[in-house]
Amino acid sequence: MQGMETNKVIENAADQNLEEAMLRAMRLSDPALSRFDPMRRIISFDQFSKGYAGWSQLVGNYEGSLDTMLPGYAQHSSPMLSTLGHWDAGSHGGAGSSYALKVATRPRPGAQNVAIKRHTFRKRGPIRFETYFTFKPEATELQLSETDVRSIGFLFDLQGGDTDQNADRIMPHLRFLNAENGEHLQKWQYKPQTSDFTAIGKGDKTASHYHLEPQGWVDLPGGAQRLCYNEIPTKVNWSYLRFDFDLGDMKALAFQCNDREFDMSGFESISIPAMKNLWCMLNFAVFAETDVAKSAFLYIDSVCISGDF
Amino acid sequence: MLPESHTAIVTRNEHWTGSATSQPYECGWAREAVIFVRALKPSVGVQPDFSVELSPDGMRWVPEGTRVAMPAMQDEIAVARITNFGNWLRIRADFEDGSSSTVLVTLHLKA
Repeated sequence: MQGMETNKVIENAADQNLEEAMLRAMRLSDPALSRFDPMRRIISFDQFSKGYAGWSQLVGNYEGSLDTMLPGYAQHSSPMLSTLGHWDAGSHGGAGSSYALKVATRPRPGAQNVAIKRHTFRKRGPIRFETYFTFKPEATELQLSETDVRSIGFLFDLQGGDTDQNADRIMPHLRFLNAENGEHLQKWQYKPQTSDFTAIGKGDKTASHYHLEPQGWVDLPGGAQRLCYNEIPTKVNWSYLRFDFDLGDMKALAFQCNDREFDMSGFESISIPAMKNLWCMLNFAVFAETDVAKSAFLYIDSVCISGDF
Repeated sequence: MLPESHTAIVTRNEHWTGSATSQPYECGWAREAVIFVRALKPSVGVQPDFSVELSPDGMRWVPEGTRVAMPAMQDEIAVARITNFGNWLRIRADFEDGSSSTVLVTLHLKA
């Protein structure tokens, strides 16, 4: 009897090894996926030559009138499918096709814009967010303009299931602070706290908080990084980014940008009490912020979101 | 695969006075666009036409030729249909002193 159980364990291990080997071989032989290192199951794989793939603008909460929307959200607008068309060199194109998702801010200092993709999860385990991205200011001047984009970044918006014991709303944020007030800072930061909640409208159903306000960002230890910017505003280079997060204990596991992997032991997410309508929420967002009276553009070539389940 | 079809909100609940424009929208993938302008509140004063503008680079703008009267009443919707517009689109309205409108501008694009 013990021998049969041993054989079963060996068979299961062999099946798992075979699955891992086949998955690895199939993904490495697929030119679109071989640029990524997804976990076992792919939750979504978005190439923007195939459309918006569910990436839409982050609209603010309101009740009764749009006037009740917080100003931070009121400035947001719809993302675009862009060929990175430039006045001097034509369409730059994406990393893998002619198109990338474009998140453009208004042309005023401090303006922000956010694109979001909304899911729910089916398993509270590790997930992985991978993307190829780049950023530039609008090429309104014949200058390098390397300090015109204040920041670009991403966030998750998560909440446990309705029967979970620890079902807080958790929002890991990371941004690349490129520049502030003209100073070229080039470092990764996280955000451990959000602003106070504001009641929206006259009922008791809606509240809002602008979690991307400029205050409260903290330097990621060892998070200084000089990214490839190139030599005029219309030349761009794509960078790779990977963020691993455990939906089980709601902790960051790993963060990589290009050749650098950062220590996430000191990372903290925004943590707020669970909200009454957001069970199993699994949202992903990317954002851009300008430092000057010029639009900042964040371009996303592709996104692969995967999970270990 | 079905052809791409997309609704983009390029101006939402903005109070337009003087020379006003919608956010430039890059949409070279689309063959046709329908532009709706809805007055979210009662407009004030004489309402101008809005004009559709094209651009070679998203920064410099030229009139496309289409002009449509801005909506005068709350919840009235003005509409323009265009094709052959290149890579960027926006609309522009020039209000005389004392006139204004609070608008929702949406683009409806099809490949």
